[in-house]
Amino acid sequence: MALRTQHYPHVFEHHPGVDYFEVISENFLDPAGAPRRRLDRVRARYPVVLHGVGLNLLAHAPLDDAYLDALCRLADDVDAPFVTDHLCWTGAHGVSHHDLLPTPYVPDLVELAAERACEVQRRLGRPFGLENLSSYVEFRSSTLTEWEFYSAVVRESGCWSLLDVNNIYVSSQNHGFDPDAYLAAIDFSRVLEVHLAGHARELDGTLVDTHDQAVASEVWALYGRAWKAGGPFPTLLEWDAKIPPMPQVLAELARAGEVRG
Amino acid sequence: MTREGPAWLAEFQALFGDTIRTPLERSSGTLRAQLTAYDARLVAEAADGPATNGASRLAVYNRQYWFRLFDVLQSVFPLTSRLMGYGSFNDYAARFLLVHPPGGWNLDRVAAGFDGFLAGTLERGDADERRALVECARIDAAWHDALSGARWPPFRPSLADAARLLDAHLVPSPALRIVEEHRPLVEVRRRLFHDPGASPIELPPALERSRWWAILGTGDGVALVPLEAREAELLTELGERSVRAALSYIERACTPEERALLPERARAWLARSVEHDFWIGIRFDR
Repeated sequence: MALRTQHYPHVFEHHPGVDYFEVISENFLDPAGAPRRRLDRVRARYPVVLHGVGLNLLAHAPLDDAYLDALCRLADDVDAPFVTDHLCWTGAHGVSHHDLLPTPYVPDLVELAAERACEVQRRLGRPFGLENLSSYVEFRSSTLTEWEFYSAVVRESGCWSLLDVNNIYVSSQNHGFDPDAYLAAIDFSRVLEVHLAGHARELDGTLVDTHDQAVASEVWALYGRAWKAGGPFPTLLEWDAKIPPMPQVLAELARAGEVRG
Repeated sequence: MTREGPAWLAEFQALFGDTIRTPLERSSGTLRAQLTAYDARLVAEAADGPATNGASRLAVYNRQYWFRLFDVLQSVFPLTSRLMGYGSFNDYAARFLLVHPPGGWNLDRVAAGFDGFLAGTLERGDADERRALVECARIDAAWHDALSGARWPPFRPSLADAARLLDAHLVPSPALRIVEEHRPLVEVRRRLFHDPGASPIELPPALERSRWWAILGTGDGVALVPLEAREAELLTELGERSVRAALSYIERACTPEERALLPERARAWLARSVEHDFWIGIRFDR
């Protein structure tokens, strides 16, 4: 499951039976920071994988070498089985928006993203996975569907998929596509991990990837179909806001087993 | 080093960035996206969705940008934001972020400098209230710096160190901050740390005389160490000068009565500062 600050007391006291924890890379890049000390305690008992939100893979500017160096050091320090980030951009022209932003889906960005992802994986020296985005806008200049774009980048980079089933569902509702068409395009032999999370519906009907509630029934159903199509794969639950006590988060994660049957 | 993206991507990301940083409008009392302020080229490029048009879809990102950053500033400045009220606080936060947009991957750095910005721009209440709010912001910033500052092993002087300490510079812990308060704000801030919430709070009454605190990041929290005024002054000077120069500076500032007691007091303050892990090492001028 995705480990957040609120979980530490429960983890340190009760040592819950979790296969591994996933942490947000950027929170631990400072080797002398207080968060790293807590992570070391977690790492002593559990494998830890790294999930980033700051790689900025699809920015116009080249990848940030200093950021990558710090990420590689962290991955080495915690001996992460794999590292992931998103197929998106987060900042440009010196400004970071701290959000996961879409681009038009066009072939020349497939090439750019694949080159960069391949370089990230080479420098990490361990599997690097790309997560599909939840998005709220599409662009008229796109010539590929989101799943064509995503699958092509994963394939051409030689990297891996972090498939977020909630994101597929959120985007499918916001853009009016069939989520099963998205699943059909996925090469499940390249899936490192599947993410689940909750979303919210705004007044105008837009679904927003809030990670602040339980997984929606439609997303569980889509997850079941993904499992049928490509399981087994590791499954991870993200709950990042309005976080309930850890036993409730673990109970939600346990539902994945029930859905798989 | 990886290559740059195509030129059109730079232009697209400039337009998108400008759009999602468009200030929210709040004349109705509710923060709203100003869709008509978006660049027409980006709006034309944004496809309509099943239920909403392209501009409305861009507005999701516009709102997310601001609300995420307001959350960050409110979490770094809980004392200030709850004393000011979130509406007023967010107005200043927005003005700050327009001048100092986030520049790196570290979300934790977004609020850096907001206390100074507030000190230069605050225009509400009387002078006393403004002074108090600026002091709140400084205490919030110090608390955050102490919590997020790197934890290095504390300095424990050897006999050899003790012999040459006068000519040394003590290196303060990155997680140490010294603050002065004219109202019991540190205590209010401490309560907020253990009991977060959103309810408004009121400024506590002024103290008869100001108090000084060392705020030091320790483990997962902070330690609060009350300081005497001269002790705080000495600790601050030790961050800038050698021990000998700092002591001389303090000695010059002392009254004759204080000066008579200074050798003994200074030894006690220095010993206490070491016991509390305020220093992480010593260095010498070449």
